[in-house]
Amino acid sequence: MKTNSTDAILVKSLVYAVNGTTILKGVDFRAAYGEIVGIMGASGSGKTTLLKCIAGLLRPTAGEVWIEGVNIAPLSEREKMPLRLRLGIVFQYAALFDYMTVYENVAFGLERHRRLPRSEIARIVKERLAWVGLEGVEHLYPSQLSGGMRKRVGLARALALDPHIVLFDEPTSGLDPVNAYQIDRLIHRLNRELGLTAVVVSHDVTSLFRTTDRIVVIDSGQIVEEGTPEAIRQSEHPKVQAFLRMASTESLEEQAGI
Amino acid sequence: MREELVWQDEEAPQRASVAGVVLEFIGGLTLLLVASVRGLLAGRKEWREMLHQMAFIGATSAPIVVLTSAFTGAVITLYSASLLVRVGGGSFVGGATALAMARELAPILTGIMVTARCGSAIAAQLGTMKITEQIDALRALAVSPVQYLVVPRLIAGLLMFPLLGAIANFAGVLGGGVVATAFEISPFTYLRSIQLFVEPFDFIGGLIKTLVFALIIIMVSCHQGLSARGGAVGVGHATTRAVVLSMVLVFIANYFLADALFARR
Repeated sequence: MKTNSTDAILVKSLVYAVNGTTILKGVDFRAAYGEIVGIMGASGSGKTTLLKCIAGLLRPTAGEVWIEGVNIAPLSEREKMPLRLRLGIVFQYAALFDYMTVYENVAFGLERHRRLPRSEIARIVKERLAWVGLEGVEHLYPSQLSGGMRKRVGLARALALDPHIVLFDEPTSGLDPVNAYQIDRLIHRLNRELGLTAVVVSHDVTSLFRTTDRIVVIDSGQIVEEGTPEAIRQSEHPKVQAFLRMASTESLEEQAGI
Repeated sequence: MREELVWQDEEAPQRASVAGVVLEFIGGLTLLLVASVRGLLAGRKEWREMLHQMAFIGATSAPIVVLTSAFTGAVITLYSASLLVRVGGGSFVGGATALAMARELAPILTGIMVTARCGSAIAAQLGTMKITEQIDALRALAVSPVQYLVVPRLIAGLLMFPLLGAIANFAGVLGGGVVATAFEISPFTYLRSIQLFVEPFDFIGGLIKTLVFALIIIMVSCHQGLSARGGAVGVGHATTRAVVLSMVLVFIANYFLADALFARR
């Protein structure tokens, strides 16, 4: 795998070990500009750890993480700060600042990194909230919102600083099918309209199949399969088959082959 | 500088040895302190957060500091007066109370009360932010948690502690004065005694102590909060540890400060 100027993200032989346990065992991963890549795997497979290494929130034990041509793996927290503005992260439980209103959450990064007049910040916040389909909730606190709304506010906050890449950690987990569908459509639309590169970590097979351009399957810290959603569906890799079978809607009797 | 070490230990090794735990604590605290001092000297100041914390640590702690100090001053006077008046030493009572308050009780009571009220709250808030990924969200938005959360609390603590210490002194002496009148020591005698036996440095030394206590309590509480892990139980543990460690370190520091400030005078 060589560095390519079309790669927004390039991960080479990434190892992450902690507490004597190796969570990622030499992962290679890439995402081209404008691509939606899914990372599929069971809980504990290391998919969120991979996402956090890409985000620069965890320091890899070994390997390289190139974000738009810069290897962030050896950088200090201070050196990574300006690079973080290129990435937006949507956390699994939204991670909204719970003592701030929706408005303050979305405006938080803008107030600190952009020298903008108050009215301009207000305009951007309103626009980002409109993008994610939320209007008139600016004055509410996160505790007053539903799970789906919180995730959308988290997305609006991540989009406030115009990132080139957005990382999604389990965007649909804990949501009902209607809300999950809306989030998926939102990811798809932002990708098509703004050209955002998106990495979606999920164990929600349905969601990944309908949103992504390409899926990598991770198991026990290693990439076991990679391809288009269609190719993954046809994959003969036993781990992938087992994962898909268990996620299917067949009844337990059917799955057991009775 | 590996300042991220402070909050990157989500799955850090559970060291079995006591020495390992102690070293990890000292190491983490030192790293946080260095990062905070750097943030204090340079970098964006979070004025709003700082004012908020000043109100929380200072203004809302004042009533409880006043109450505890007044009763402590009163009880010191109760004992010293009942003893001294019997041997005709009523004119020593004011000095005894004021000296005890200025050198020891005002700083220590301030430390204990603020630890109980604010140290615990700081650890709980930062701990909750840690386990709900809000700390990571700050970092993802390119905002340093040290700059945004620790530095404002440290500045607020360093500004408000001496003020609370001074208020505690005043309340203690006042509380003692009220009790003194019950032993037929006039306010004039009481104040005259303070004038005779208490030097300005006793008061200033006490305030210097509160500065050191502020540093200990705020840094320990922030450190425990930021290194919390493992859900609601983890936040509970972090809060308990913040209070216990702050108190123990305050009492240890108090001995050495007393030795350095007052023992050789």
